Amino acid sequence: MVVVFGTLGYRPKSLIPTIRSTANVEKVVFYCGADKNEPNAVKSVAAAKKEVLDYCNGMHLSVDAVELEDPFDFKNVALRIRSDIRKHKREKKEIAIFNIAGGTRPTSAAALLVCILEGIPTVYVHDVTYEEIHLPLLRIEYANVLSAEEKEILRFLMKNRTKDMTEKELADSLGKHKATMNHHVKNLVADGVVRLERHPQDQRKKVVRLEESAELLLGEDA
Amino acid sequence: MRILISTFGDGDTEKVLCAMRVLPYDQLVLVGPESIVDCDGYRILSKLEEMSGHRIETELVESDDFMKLVDEVSEAIERRTAYQRRGSDCRVMINISGGGKLLGDAALFAAFRMGVEAYHCDKTVTKLPVLRGATAKDMFTSSQANMILGIGDTPKELDQAYSYANSVSRQASERVIRELRHAGLMRSEARGGRVFIQLNDAGLEVLRALRIAKSDGKHG
Repeated sequence: MVVVFGTLGYRPKSLIPTIRSTANVEKVVFYCGADKNEPNAVKSVAAAKKEVLDYCNGMHLSVDAVELEDPFDFKNVALRIRSDIRKHKREKKEIAIFNIAGGTRPTSAAALLVCILEGIPTVYVHDVTYEEIHLPLLRIEYANVLSAEEKEILRFLMKNRTKDMTEKELADSLGKHKATMNHHVKNLVADGVVRLERHPQDQRKKVVRLEESAELLLGEDA
Repeated sequence: MRILISTFGDGDTEKVLCAMRVLPYDQLVLVGPESIVDCDGYRILSKLEEMSGHRIETELVESDDFMKLVDEVSEAIERRTAYQRRGSDCRVMINISGGGKLLGDAALFAAFRMGVEAYHCDKTVTKLPVLRGATAKDMFTSSQANMILGIGDTPKELDQAYSYANSVSRQASERVIRELRHAGLMRSEARGGRVFIQLNDAGLEVLRALRIAKSDGKHG
């Protein structure tokens, strides 16, 4: 199944051309939402959403219109989109393209971030000409830049983020040699996904702390 | 030296102030269109910087073409990260929440291209997962980089291209071309009995990143 993803704001024409120009498309998933304190924005987004839904129904395409709780919450929008992309990948669906032209600034940026992290082909639509501009992403799955062991350590740290874990405690918990753990932690520090901090109780020890960005790197469902 | 770069547009003062509060810095650089220098927010930020004995640096970007904008922001980042590579104690961070949608997205793209610490500062602050050493210019060997730079923007005849990799043998150059083809960076076509190779869009993106890195090497 070929799926088109997109973000939607006030202008259905920023999304519909991508649906039209994608071969063998069977499903459309798009994200929309407006500031609930702005009645005009809510109305305009609802009208745009209806037009895209009408178009998809007219074309007999399956469609998921995802209403974002807070389209200005960059991190949660990114985590939500990431989770949906992963779900489609697990179900072996082909994500043909992600159109990031519409929606709020944080929604569009969050979608671009997910496309970079997941290596999804991305398209922008010009504001005036509605011309599609394909972004030359390198299709690097950034999470795959890390080794399996490094990802295992990050997942463990994510699950135990309230604990102060030293390298030795990490090594013991994951059944690895202390020197091996030291090697992996050094690499993760160099990558910028973990940092070392002094232990709050014992100044001689160092605690391995997860950078907040690691959550976005791995995704919630990692 | 800690350098905070932030995208900026009219009405984005709070976003930049948030970045200024959360991310310690010595030099503030605002990136945006020429009109930003006349807006109230710019005056507020300038005054704050003057009160602390500093001045705002401004990088004006005007393009409405996404990839040109990415190039302009990349060059602004590159001018600052050059200090880092010369061994100076310098940290460069970029906040992508200001400016229009196109500028914010271009800055995010540029942050990944250049591998710099990036944040989205609004009501909350989110650090973006930019991995050091996972940029276009870090992911290719010197032979592969030479080949990409040698091919450049226009199609090249295959026989001519073998010399670009600076490899010790023709077999080694052939392997470099195979690797780049396998990585999805180039295509080839036969014309008049001769084979030409050319970078595709993804290859051209790597070329841009390599050229920016190389131009700094020359000046530095």
